[in-house]
Amino acid sequence: MKNSTLNLRDLVILVADPSPYMCMLANSMLRGFGANKAMDARSSIDAIQILTEQKIDILLCDSLLPPHGGLKLTQAIRRNVNNPNRTVPILIMTSDTRESTIKNARDAGANMVVAKPMSPSSLYDRLSWIAFNPRNFVDAPSYFGPDRRFKIEGFPTGVGRRQGDKAIDVSEETGPTLAQDDIDNLFNSSRVG
Amino acid sequence: MSQNEQAREFPVETDFQRKAGRPGGVTRRQAVGRARAQIDTLKSEFTDWLNEELNRLQAAIQMVETYPKNKTLLDDAFRSSCQLRDVGTTMGYELVTFVAGSLCEVLDATRDGAGYDKELIDCHLDSLQLARQDSYRNVKPEQVPELCNGLRQAAERSISLAGSAQK
Repeated sequence: MKNSTLNLRDLVILVADPSPYMCMLANSMLRGFGANKAMDARSSIDAIQILTEQKIDILLCDSLLPPHGGLKLTQAIRRNVNNPNRTVPILIMTSDTRESTIKNARDAGANMVVAKPMSPSSLYDRLSWIAFNPRNFVDAPSYFGPDRRFKIEGFPTGVGRRQGDKAIDVSEETGPTLAQDDIDNLFNSSRVG
Repeated sequence: MSQNEQAREFPVETDFQRKAGRPGGVTRRQAVGRARAQIDTLKSEFTDWLNEELNRLQAAIQMVETYPKNKTLLDDAFRSSCQLRDVGTTMGYELVTFVAGSLCEVLDATRDGAGYDKELIDCHLDSLQLARQDSYRNVKPEQVPELCNGLRQAAERSISLAGSAQK
């Protein structure tokens, strides 16, 4: 699905980052994109509190959000069957672009990862990607979140294959860090089966 | 029943996905232009923030030197360095991001057992003092190769020591 515009007006956006300046920067970008309902959280505890009290339309979350980390927060949101925000789109912001971290973000149930430092264009593109490339959710004993089956990755540990999937190898850990394009590829939902 | 058969796949249409495509949105070009304009309004505050954050980092490093076995203090210094790294480039200080990123790796290696390398950490702090100056705004790391390559090599040595310590 191709959309030429993105409308964030009246969507409730939660930016969870320990740095007040980073939150301010992200909020400035979001305002530039037309968002008018952005709020901040400085810790995963604050974020959980907000998420249990009100409906959030998208969560932008730092991977190192104290005290538990953004990936643990993502997992907690996805695993809580009583959380009304269980399927909320989650965009992880991280400077740690090692392949293992990106895979961990994906396996925690994140929709997408954006590399820090962020630029307006990198943030806009990831938000558009989440908005206009919806993925099915998978509810499995060891995972709840967007479908993780990817063309270049094979099958994530713990999910196993489903009917119609083709067998391909999971790639080995290579290189210390990934560029944003490589990160996007890990989240590219080109289905094999 | 196998784990595979227990997996359930279902479509989810969130409000974000439903509403983001409404009429009245902004094109990428408009959005990026407006976001840049919003960021520009923060630039005057950025210098103050940068100075404060550098002071905080230096204070955190001093605490680490005073109490070298306190992991929480090392975490504080690491977090402070990460904040400089995460914001620098967005605000036009790519060199700040480079040096702070290198310092993050050194502090991370220290947490992993590389040992506290005072000279190397001081070298990063001095480089940050340089990189924060207005004259270094919009300077890319490749434009100051002596500084960046030197920091890189020293940081890699530290990371390698941490790797050995973990084995």
